[in-house]
Amino acid sequence: MRRMAVAFVGLLALAACGGSSQSGSQNGTPKHGGTATIALESELRTLDPMDSSLLVEREVFYNIYDSLFTIDSSLAIKPGLVKSWDTSDPMNYKFTLQTGVKYQDGTPFNAQSVKDNIERYQTGATSRRKSDLSSVASVEVVDDSHVTFHLKKANATLLATLVDRAGMMLSMAAVKQGGPNFSLSPVGAGSGPFQFVEWKRNDHLTLKKNPAYWKSGFPYLDGITYRAIPDVNAILSALKTGDIDIARVIAAKDVASVKADGSFIYKDTPAIGFNGFELNTGAPPFNDPAKRQAVAEALDKYQILKNINFNIGVVAYGPIPPSSWAYDSSEKIYDHADASKAKSTATGFTFTFKTTSDPVNQQAAALIQSQLAAAGITMTIQTEEFATYEQECANHQFQACNVNWSGRIDPDGNMYAWWHTGGDFNDSLYSNSQVDGWLEDARTTTDQGKRKQDYDSAQKQIVQDAPYVFTTFGVSAQISSNKIQNFTLYPDLMIRMTEVWKS
Amino acid sequence: MSTTSALLTTEEPIRRTPIGVLVLLRGYPRVTAAGGLVALLFLIALLAPLISPHDPLAVNADDSYLRPFSPGHWLGTDELGRDLLSRVLWGARVSLPVAFVAVGVGVVGGGIIGLASGYAGGFTDLLLMRVVDALLAFPGLILAIAIVAALGPGLRNAMIAIGIVAIPVYARLVRAITLQLKQLEFVTATRSLGASPARLILRHIIPNLLNPVIVQVSLSAGFAILAEATLSFLGLGAQVPTPDWGQMINTGAAFLANDPWLAIIPGIAISITVYSFNFLGDSLRDALDPRLRG
Amino acid sequence: MTTYVLRRLLLMLPVAFLVTVGVFMLIHLTPGDPALILLGEDRSPQAIAQIHQQLGLDKPLYVQYVIWIGRLGHGDLGRSITTNQPVATAIGERLPATIELGLVALLWSLAVAIPLGTIAAVRRGSLADQVATGITVGGVSIPNFFIGIVLIFVLSVSFRMFPFGGYVPFTQDPLENLRHVVLPAIALGTAGAAINMRFTRSSMIEVLNHDFIRTARAKGASWKRVVFIHALKNALIPVVTIVGLQIGGIIEGAVVTETVFTWPGVGRLAVESIFDRDYTVVQGIVLLAAFSYMVANLMVDLVYGWLDPRISYS
Repeated sequence: MRRMAVAFVGLLALAACGGSSQSGSQNGTPKHGGTATIALESELRTLDPMDSSLLVEREVFYNIYDSLFTIDSSLAIKPGLVKSWDTSDPMNYKFTLQTGVKYQDGTPFNAQSVKDNIERYQTGATSRRKSDLSSVASVEVVDDSHVTFHLKKANATLLATLVDRAGMMLSMAAVKQGGPNFSLSPVGAGSGPFQFVEWKRNDHLTLKKNPAYWKSGFPYLDGITYRAIPDVNAILSALKTGDIDIARVIAAKDVASVKADGSFIYKDTPAIGFNGFELNTGAPPFNDPAKRQAVAEALDKYQILKNINFNIGVVAYGPIPPSSWAYDSSEKIYDHADASKAKSTATGFTFTFKTTSDPVNQQAAALIQSQLAAAGITMTIQTEEFATYEQECANHQFQACNVNWSGRIDPDGNMYAWWHTGGDFNDSLYSNSQVDGWLEDARTTTDQGKRKQDYDSAQKQIVQDAPYVFTTFGVSAQISSNKIQNFTLYPDLMIRMTEVWKS
Repeated sequence: MSTTSALLTTEEPIRRTPIGVLVLLRGYPRVTAAGGLVALLFLIALLAPLISPHDPLAVNADDSYLRPFSPGHWLGTDELGRDLLSRVLWGARVSLPVAFVAVGVGVVGGGIIGLASGYAGGFTDLLLMRVVDALLAFPGLILAIAIVAALGPGLRNAMIAIGIVAIPVYARLVRAITLQLKQLEFVTATRSLGASPARLILRHIIPNLLNPVIVQVSLSAGFAILAEATLSFLGLGAQVPTPDWGQMINTGAAFLANDPWLAIIPGIAISITVYSFNFLGDSLRDALDPRLRG
Repeated sequence: MTTYVLRRLLLMLPVAFLVTVGVFMLIHLTPGDPALILLGEDRSPQAIAQIHQQLGLDKPLYVQYVIWIGRLGHGDLGRSITTNQPVATAIGERLPATIELGLVALLWSLAVAIPLGTIAAVRRGSLADQVATGITVGGVSIPNFFIGIVLIFVLSVSFRMFPFGGYVPFTQDPLENLRHVVLPAIALGTAGAAINMRFTRSSMIEVLNHDFIRTARAKGASWKRVVFIHALKNALIPVVTIVGLQIGGIIEGAVVTETVFTWPGVGRLAVESIFDRDYTVVQGIVLLAAFSYMVANLMVDLVYGWLDPRISYS
């Protein structure tokens, strides 16, 4: 089943054609009306940002709910429900809210609502947003349109966090009204361009236009329908039959033919994640840094990009992708494959590489295997069922494990949890006190220049030590029928439908 | 697989000796035809390394997606430039052994349970048959998927899973025959004379099991091949790059628009193979139990 | 007869018990942690531990089993781990789709099987018989997922005659519903045609040999009339029994077809739940399938026994 691995395929389907931010295409004056059908790579579990943990859920959320902040297509933080902000005091952030905004159930959006939402995320029994908001001590209601966030510790990543689920504002009245079934039927809960109509699990999810949307004149479409199609090939077929209008991912091998077909639009831009595999530094053979470096040296990323990703995307030199302000391409530590150098670093050892049965992952593994063989390193491929593989990698029961990361807007999200000692995703058991120091400093300093320095240093060290071997960077893509107009591509993979219209 | 034979077992006549193979071939042309087809498949599987024009695993990226009847590649090539004809021929080497090991697990496991149950009777019978019933009540494909999920994807575990699913059929079959034989006069007489159970089983029961079991094995082989193809199609059986027909359909399905042959040819291969076994099983059953043909 | 039924029902109890133990052990002993599946990218040791505690997964296995059985006794199948929906609701939502698929597939298989079986019986031993048998055996030999993807490719993607996947409830739009069910039903039903055809054929042959048929013919009734009115009616009764078994096995049969056509049925739910380690849902579905299988078997054996006086119930 390619269900879960589709997310990986999508991120393997990468490109950096052009690379510049992609703004919408405009053919004539926007037309009001019509509905768009969007394919999701898997079914959602909840429509409540509080207990959500899937990427596909975020795709839907951005069209129902507004967040305190938004991003533009170059990942710069922009006003959302917060009109302006003052972060001069790193422990007390002052936000001025938009006025005249109403939730879809008619209740007003105000400072009290912000406070209620944050507290709900921090204290809800099933809330997955607790760690996102762990630096927030309390929210103070100054007046109806002013709030102050009092922080426990300085956190430069907070605004970026508030762009995503932890910053999504819901009508508390709607939450209460929904009761225990709220997450399946969040009627009137958002303030966004579309409101919830119905959700037939495993079939479709429909939204309709919010006539009282606070950004007047928007949205153009009358409604959106989401369909969960778990297989990338099925998504392409559905696009061809017209059963869907927009898709987020297709298989890399199909990109060329879609581009060549005039009835479709294909565009992409660098995304925010990274791809590769992690090495367990806590057990042989990769407790030996030389062996990790040998693997990184012997790896041919360019061949992977060509054969597996069909040249969609770019090779990766570290965890921070080209779309980020912290991107540093000055030093490419492991660039082209060098089998002889690898041989002299360490050779003649064997290890097991864990991956899933998804054919693309399997082919990538086979390719890596042959690349390492050229350097005298024997790699055995162990295929496992998704849940098993996930558990073993998370519990450090692996030597090499093929894991990709979908990415976060702020560079902290691509590094801290992964390589800070004891981090949640630190499956590799990597621990370097200097790196810890840089990452902690970058989290608390608000000076972006200083943060970039920290991330440069941390990245260099991490890449050199190779607890993770980076292969490629992904793309965020627009794959749609040519009737879809004014679609803006965002690097964070999210499809925002406010300004989209259909010809 | 399970339902038909469960209903038909009540009508099995008892033969004292197995029918000779030559008698079968001479008297029943359908058996000859079917047997020939199956023998051909085994021959292909055996000789695949010799008759394949290319190495089924040889990747040749420049020659990918060649159409059938291209020079050097009679059936074309797949997405990585591997020769399709060679992969299909080698696929027989994967599917046939898997089918037989799986069926073997079923025959041995089911046979032992059935023999024990039928011979011992009483409480053992009651208990063992409830276990068999439970196994039978479990939806087959779901059970196989769950077993492979538990053990890990791969051909070996697929074989075990399919074999376990096949056990009840053989358990019931062997038990039914054992029960009927037990009641025959000469058996009771021999037992009262003090003959050991082992001798009885070996000399009298097992020879009478051969015919029905062989019929069932032919039919099971077909279903086992389909089951293995299904598991591989779901990503639970043979993994890339093993040339397994089900797995080739799985990967090939992605390319239906560009190159439908990648999925269609292995599909045809499976169909022909399963058909041969079903045909063999059917004609053997006709030949050995004429009363059932009605 | 009543003693037979009672005995059968009594025997079903230990079987049901064994099935519960079997499915529980199998799914719980499969490596993989449902908490990780639930948390996705938000995993942390604390969150994992919290979920284990909330779901009772930190208790010893036998305790979890007893809790589950206890709830079962009250008719409570528990809640889905991934969606927190009651399992009964999760299954109930998707059961109609599976039943519809299974029934339409059955109709298709009978539409193929009965005519072919009748022809084969009437022209027994002839070329027509061989061909008819050949066709149906062929049908059972082609993997149903293969039929599915070929149908999708030809009729859905290439010729746009049928929609690609998905499901529209009958109550919402009957025509669309039928358009969506056609391809999956054909893929699913073709294999069943073989069994149904063979049964139709053999039971037709038997009926045609009955005295009353010969009498009717002797009285001058036309061949057609004899076949269609008298013989078929009687021949179909045993076929109904085999159909009953197929209905009992509806969930299992649908698994692959539902996957290929993204049909929102119980079969697909079962597979997804295994992959998601959603213990409660898997257990619920297996119990449901086992139960329907056992009941169908009992019914069929009773009908079959009533039909065939050679079978006696000791």
